[in-house]
Amino acid sequence: MSSKRASMMPPAPKPPTSLSSSLVIAEHASLTGTKLITLGSNTVIHPRSKLSSAYAPITIGNSCIISERSQIGIQNEPDEEEADPVVIEDGVIIEVGAVVEGKRIGEGSVIEVNAKVGRGAVLGKHCKIGPLCEVAEGEVLPDYTVLFGNGMRRIDNSGVEDLKMKMVARQVEVLRKLIPSKIAKFQ
Amino acid sequence: MSKKSVKGEYIETDTGNKVSRRSQIIGTTNIILGGKTVIQAEVIIRGDLLRTYPTSTAGEKQGNPVAVAIGRYCFFSRGCELRPPGKLYKGQFSHYPLKITDHVFIGPGSIVEAALIGSHVNIGANCVVGKFAIIKDYVRILDGTVVPPNMVIPSFSIVAGRPGRVVGEIAEGEVDGMDLREVYRAVGNH
Repeated sequence: MSSKRASMMPPAPKPPTSLSSSLVIAEHASLTGTKLITLGSNTVIHPRSKLSSAYAPITIGNSCIISERSQIGIQNEPDEEEADPVVIEDGVIIEVGAVVEGKRIGEGSVIEVNAKVGRGAVLGKHCKIGPLCEVAEGEVLPDYTVLFGNGMRRIDNSGVEDLKMKMVARQVEVLRKLIPSKIAKFQ
Repeated sequence: MSKKSVKGEYIETDTGNKVSRRSQIIGTTNIILGGKTVIQAEVIIRGDLLRTYPTSTAGEKQGNPVAVAIGRYCFFSRGCELRPPGKLYKGQFSHYPLKITDHVFIGPGSIVEAALIGSHVNIGANCVVGKFAIIKDYVRILDGTVVPPNMVIPSFSIVAGRPGRVVGEIAEGEVDGMDLREVYRAVGNH
């Protein structure tokens, strides 16, 4: 069955990549585009996640978790000459179906299920974008911002970000055991 | 559906499950299908996200680990996803099994990370069911609802909104329409 699945993949040329050796990337993840994709150490890329560097390079830091069906990178042709590269800092969790086109996603942020981060948006550290919430194009969110419900927002000053970072690290450890990594396929 | 190909869209198993060839099921050995369940195209089921935290009771039966358990007459619409929830417990991160009982309908594009879904539950399109939510029997979740993590939804509730709240009750007469036998029969390689 796996050979049949592979034939369904488009025969697109592989984008240039800079992959850390401790990266966990599932066989069915998709990296497409022409610009550089950089993935940091201990990052987990779930199956069926889509990273597209067709219009701008993508940089993902260390200990990030990119879930299935999420779309990272500029999705369609930019109006201007150059689109801003997508930079995701360390310890970021991108959940199922999220679309991330932002310029910078700060350390320890969480983008929840089906949320959208518009082009050129900048998220501070430890931000949380709730399910189905959207960050507009070019918007700048300060550190610890939480978006929830129908576009409501608040600042999270619970001060538990160290614990959250620890949890991300634990989660990465577990996923490393569960998801077979096929780095060779993407190099 | 009317495409005249040699192979139909659905693979029918011995127990009557109809599984689309275009579904994206990962970790098949850790998924239990009770029978007569329909899995449409582009449905993702994450059977690979197993429990890694050791079970405390020694009496628990050994054998194949289960990540997703599904009962009879369930219907998973196109593009929905079933994903076992994960949490940190006693300093260890682990996923926990997702249990779905009988006659559960999940609408297109919905993402379910619940712990337990009771029988005759109807989840609409593009819903998000948060981690470790517990949904009891005969619940209707309207389209686009975001059920927050750890929410417990009592029986016979109607839930809607972002975040999801109980907005009404299901009257006794409405219960008959939530049986999925007819829907099951309507799907297949005709």
